Amino acid sequence: MEAPQYVAARVQQALAEDGRTHELGIRVDIRGDQLFLRGQVSGAQQRLRLGEVAHETAPDLHVHNEIKVVEAHEPGEDEHLD
Amino acid sequence: MSTLTDLRIAAVGDIHLGEDVRGQYRQRLAGIEDRADVFMLAGDLTRHGTLEEGRLVADELRGLPIPVVAVLGNHDYHSDLQYEIAAELRDAGVVVLDDEGVVIQCGDRKLGVVGGKGFGGGFAGKCASEFGEREIKNFVSHTRYIAEAWKVALKEIVADERVVLSHYSPIKETLEGEPHEIYPFLGSYLLAEAVDTAGADLILHGHAHKGSEKGMTPGGIRVRNVAMPVLGKAYAVYCLTCDPGCA
Ligand SMILES: [Fe+2]
Ligand SMILES: [Fe+2]
Repeated sequence: MEAPQYVAARVQQALAEDGRTHELGIRVDIRGDQLFLRGQVSGAQQRLRLGEVAHETAPDLHVHNEIKVVEAHEPGEDEHLD
Repeated sequence: MSTLTDLRIAAVGDIHLGEDVRGQYRQRLAGIEDRADVFMLAGDLTRHGTLEEGRLVADELRGLPIPVVAVLGNHDYHSDLQYEIAAELRDAGVVVLDDEGVVIQCGDRKLGVVGGKGFGGGFAGKCASEFGEREIKNFVSHTRYIAEAWKVALKEIVADERVVLSHYSPIKETLEGEPHEIYPFLGSYLLAEAVDTAGADLILHGHAHKGSEKGMTPGGIRVRNVAMPVLGKAYAVYCLTCDPGCA
């Protein structure tokens, strides 16, 4: 069986290089037959696409998509630099 | 407390817009003219750097009531359409900096903005150098070329305040939260060294989504990582207080 570290690395590369996602900085962890995705993206569809690409790259694993969608909240306090 | 001589800079990076979120970011910019005098974008405006995404970003930024200055990020370069994307943004009234400077008149004050995408290479003591294979030399010399261009532009610009706008980070502090192993791909100390040599009041950057907001160059210039995932809001506002005697 292939070491989980190599599978995780391949999934991470796919998320960065696949034309549907191009998302860097997503953390991929594998425990047994479970694959966990963590990180932040700018939209709900991007989150779904990342889950799809991960599933296609490692079809034997169960994908847990724990990626968060960044909300652009109202700007808060100003910072004064003096 | 806000005074009349404060120069208010709204800033964000890494908005990574795509078709599925069209119109949403623009909503968050409502009323920005009451909060800030100028809006700065620190690159990674798109996800894949396609022309469609570039046009979408241009639509989101078009016709804002305050001046908008932007640099591109590595994602905006991915499809080799960076010049076309910059042209779309310029058409929409955005000033796009590519290793050069611009002076923005804010009331009675002149704000000088110098910047560009920047690049990586790492930080003093743990960085790549121009040695060995051609590929490594090209990598390091690209950053050196950029740093030199910024230094010259900062020295030449005539303004009351000077801000540097970059995508890549000039320091390590604002990368805290990112894995140490990828620091060389997140920024370069050569950028900070150039800015410390020429002088500036503030450096803004993005790129490090998991980094930290606040840091400082070895020369004491404030650095802010304005990547939207770091800020957790549509933009931050930084107020530069006027130096005594400049008003
Ligand atoms: Fe980014
Ligand atoms: Fe980036």
